[in-house]
Amino acid sequence: MTGTVPAAELHRVDARRFEVEALPWLDDVYRFALSMTRDESDADDVVQETFLRAYRSWHTFEPGSECRKWLFTICRNVFLRLRERDRRRVDYGGEDAQLEALASEQETQSSFGENAEILSHVDLGPALERAIGELPDVFRSAVVLVDVEGMAYNEAASVLGVPVGTIRSRLFRGRRLLQDSLVVFARDAGLTARDPCEV
Amino acid sequence: MYLTETVAMDCYDVVRQLWDFLDGELTDESMDAIRAHLAQCRQCYPQFDFERTFLDALAATRREHPAPNMVRRKVLAKLRTAGLDV
Repeated sequence: MTGTVPAAELHRVDARRFEVEALPWLDDVYRFALSMTRDESDADDVVQETFLRAYRSWHTFEPGSECRKWLFTICRNVFLRLRERDRRRVDYGGEDAQLEALASEQETQSSFGENAEILSHVDLGPALERAIGELPDVFRSAVVLVDVEGMAYNEAASVLGVPVGTIRSRLFRGRRLLQDSLVVFARDAGLTARDPCEV
Repeated sequence: MYLTETVAMDCYDVVRQLWDFLDGELTDESMDAIRAHLAQCRQCYPQFDFERTFLDALAATRREHPAPNMVRRKVLAKLRTAGLDV
């Protein structure tokens, strides 16, 4: 008897590994897809395509490496391909490049100060979810990966295919925008004094 | 400044690196220096507390979006057509 493993047995083991290692991340992949598409139907498509591609390329997954990061990378690529397809229909006008330039401007006023008490007054969950959804794509992806999904900067950089420094600047700008949104939310809800200029 | 002589970092540097600190993205030495500063600085600690609460609230949004059962079923159906026995 030789030491070779029958192809069918190899396939069965690989399939079992995929079930155990990849499928448990379905919720995470869905959340990430939804954060990018902001549309449940599109997220549905992206998730299905992500897992199909992941299964077909499972042999390229390095055992012991971070499966969620691997799936997120595929998910991001699937999303970009779909968006590219849509861009042929709609001209976005280089918006991402302009936002990237904005993110690199480090001098941004902190929301801390008169607004410090907002966080203790506002039910932050719904307000934050809405604010995240309204962030420009480039900032939202960084915020979701690091702040919501808990990835390290280098992991998020790997998923998005950008340098760590880019993640840092996108996070900086994205978080400031979220804080600004919370301030507006709190003012609208009557939780802080209105800006004297607006009276 | 509200610091004693034993803390080397000034408030500007600490505030500038607060998010990197909260994300654990600094060297051990910088983490220790900021931790020591915050333990003694009445000016920086409230901002640290504000940013920490903000990031905690962001992280807390994670739990609220499990994939709908319909999506799960579609994924499994697609994988079956590709040969996965699930």
